[in-house]
Amino acid sequence: MNKKVNIGLGFRREIANEFLEANSVQPDFIEVAPENWIDLGGYWKSKFKEVTEKYPLVLHGLSLSIGSPEEPDWEFLKKLKSFIKEYNVKIYSEHLSFAKMDNAHLYDLLPIPFKDDSIKHVVKRIQQVQDFLEMKIAIENVSYYTPVDAEITEDVFVKKIVEEADCNLLLDVNNVYVNSFNHKYNAHDFIDNMPLDRVKYIHMAGHNKVSDDLIIDTHGEAIIDPVYDLFDYTLNKMKYNVPVLLERDFNFPEIKELQKEMEVLRKISLKNIDHNVVYR
Amino acid sequence: MLYTDKTYDSQKRLTNWVRTGKESGVPGATSNGLKQYRRLFRNNINNSLSQAYPISFEVLSDEEWSTLVDEFFEKHDAKTPHIWKLPFEFYQFVKANNFSEKFNYPFLNDLVHFEWLEIEVYTMPNEYPQPYVKSGDILNNVLEVNPEYRLTQLEYPVHMYAAKESVNHKGDYFLLTYREPKTFDVKFMNLDPLHVLFFEKVANENLTANQIIDFIIDQNNSIPRDKLTKSIIGFLETMIKEKVFLGYAENYLN
Repeated sequence: MNKKVNIGLGFRREIANEFLEANSVQPDFIEVAPENWIDLGGYWKSKFKEVTEKYPLVLHGLSLSIGSPEEPDWEFLKKLKSFIKEYNVKIYSEHLSFAKMDNAHLYDLLPIPFKDDSIKHVVKRIQQVQDFLEMKIAIENVSYYTPVDAEITEDVFVKKIVEEADCNLLLDVNNVYVNSFNHKYNAHDFIDNMPLDRVKYIHMAGHNKVSDDLIIDTHGEAIIDPVYDLFDYTLNKMKYNVPVLLERDFNFPEIKELQKEMEVLRKISLKNIDHNVVYR
Repeated sequence: MLYTDKTYDSQKRLTNWVRTGKESGVPGATSNGLKQYRRLFRNNINNSLSQAYPISFEVLSDEEWSTLVDEFFEKHDAKTPHIWKLPFEFYQFVKANNFSEKFNYPFLNDLVHFEWLEIEVYTMPNEYPQPYVKSGDILNNVLEVNPEYRLTQLEYPVHMYAAKESVNHKGDYFLLTYREPKTFDVKFMNLDPLHVLFFEKVANENLTANQIIDFIIDQNNSIPRDKLTKSIIGFLETMIKEKVFLGYAENYLN
């Protein structure tokens, strides 16, 4: 990735051929969950090899479970480290959540209690992982549907962890919007309170409003205008540009629709580039 | 762990709720939010398993399938960080907990094993054969085996009959599951015991067809050599055509 603006798209099996055989989608990079590709052979290993020869690769993990009480899974981290090296990956991110409890995987993301002892715990885990991988990782603010045993606010929780762990932030703008709706806070204030100088990477996605007071973060719909507006607001406040990913995990439309969404993201990014002079 | 006992307890209560759907008293949580987590997590596991086991999903009633998924999610501590490998743990869980007897489906263990084999062979890490050539003497050269295979014994021929029908054909069945090297397609082949012996001698002992024929006749000299040789040549030609044997091992060529 070396352009002024880099817009990526998640590489998913359902639309794999569009990345490989057609020119209908032209991301600057692709993103995958390493858990879905490590240890894999056969057909999908060969497709993965093809696509990673064509596009730069960014990793976004699912199973590290940085908020679990137990020690990190060193065996998994060892495999992850060689995977990162093999594919020359520059960005590896994970969720600020937990997906495993007492060594039992749950395969989805649960909210960590927003508390001071959680901050200490997660900071230590992030540092352990960064030391082992010999790289900074980016931690993503996640969507959540209920707070659990919270004593401080989400923005304070995220900011303190990122700063104290000395890691990067993957800012998921859609998650900020979803959480602000579900938990009734001001999304712009949340962005203002983020350590924007630590943002290494941005996620954008669609969601599903299931009732008057609940949005589910599905990655199965197109991005809506208020989320584009929040993205614009965020970029305007940032002092540099970072890669932006369009996340789409199911309910795939015609590929040209995804390309259109990527073009909107590119347009907003370019609009903000005048004052954002540094790319990193 | 730097969590306080109270925070750990909150996390534990949340995961108990997610796995069981039973009221766990999660501090500070909203009931609507908790319901979403239970629904989303349970759906994720159910989707992963029903896609991995389409035949079992079809054969079991909705209630039986739900019971199976609920018990698995509640009682089994999933070890793998890779959700695509979770179906293997499911197969082991079904077998270890006698669901075959509980649901009165004698074929169930074999069915989930069969369905897992397809996933296992399709996704298994690439294995590479030793150097081989395409031409050789079928009886006197060692054949190179396609290394991407699993050989399994089944009691119920779920690979040959509809699952419920397989109950009427209980016996000893040997299933060779392998990955076609160019297309990566998974293929199945039912082998009789003689061919299993033959295949294993080639795969594990690097013997030629004639050496194996000698071995078989040593064990049972009532078998006419000509008839056995003719049958073995037919078998080997099929195995070569089907890419189970890739060619002739270079290391053993004269």
